[in-house]
Amino acid sequence: MTLTDSHSGRRLTARGAKTRARIVASAAELMYVKGVAATTVDDVLAATGSSKSQFYHHFKSREALVRAVVDHVGQTVLARERESLGNVSTLRGLRRWRDALVQSNALRHGAYGCALGALASEVSDHDDLARKALSQLFAEWRGLLADVLRRLQADGVLKSEVSVDQLATGLMGALQGGYMLAQAERDVSPMATSIDMALAHIESLSAT
Amino acid sequence: MTTHFVDVLAIEDAALAQVTNREDMTRWRRRVVRELMRPQSRYATALRRVPDSAAGRDFLVTWQGLLTAAVERVLSSENPPEVRSAAGRRHHDRRAADELAVLILAALHGGGLLSRVADDPAPLEAALDIALAPLTTPSARRGSCPADERPGGNMNR
Repeated sequence: MTLTDSHSGRRLTARGAKTRARIVASAAELMYVKGVAATTVDDVLAATGSSKSQFYHHFKSREALVRAVVDHVGQTVLARERESLGNVSTLRGLRRWRDALVQSNALRHGAYGCALGALASEVSDHDDLARKALSQLFAEWRGLLADVLRRLQADGVLKSEVSVDQLATGLMGALQGGYMLAQAERDVSPMATSIDMALAHIESLSAT
Repeated sequence: MTTHFVDVLAIEDAALAQVTNREDMTRWRRRVVRELMRPQSRYATALRRVPDSAAGRDFLVTWQGLLTAAVERVLSSENPPEVRSAAGRRHHDRRAADELAVLILAALHGGGLLSRVADDPAPLEAALDIALAPLTTPSARRGSCPADERPGGNMNR
């Protein structure tokens, strides 16, 4: 069976697709822990047991690998967020969403930040293709938050005059900033505080 | 501490010391947004370096302290001691000022990152709208910035 590589358009065998996926997943993990700049192709090859020829069969360059990692991490994060936000239609549900993110980050003492935010921080200034892909991914994530706020508005919980898109964007900013503060301080507390304060602001806009 | 951290803290120390009311906080906001939207500014460079640097934590802690003091002054200006109610006393709670300072810092970092990625000041403005809601005038909201203060206009590089 042959598959098509979504990035290069080249045809891959099922085995080739598995090799490519393994390289991308391993690179994503290494870049999350060590950072993008500090992760070399040799690191990835060592972690996957792949050869250089296998690597360059799938990726023209290290930049191509980074873009594939952006795509992979983005889809993983969005799948998680669709699962956790998809049925949220109450403020309590939004607080449970917050609890899950803070708890997950607390397990690592905030050490690595948001997987998508950390990538954005490192690559946006150097790779315009990656920046545009990240912009689209964050827009989709923000859209999920806006959908929650729209449901709150439809249920009469949030005032009708509130701009849900703008509020969702602000909440996303507080979330990403919270992750970054937690990463710098190796302590999840500022992340918890910033999301709590942002949610308190949303609650202050309630219709009742 | 790296040069960019030292430079930004020196500017913020002087600037935030002058923030005593909502109008002052609104002016502070406009200036910081202008700085953050210039990719090579000391502010943008400093925030990019925070996660990578051991000095980043000290930078954040110091800036948060300056913000907390400014927030306390702004809140005090609206709830002078002689007319302070129980709710007013809560406003003056140091912890509340600290929490607002954390949210402001988060908005600058997170909103700033999203704005860099989108190449658009809107996410930074939206994040600051939330963080500064208790502390700025309604005209400080996104879209009501005077033309000569908008990012991209009349800036010194």
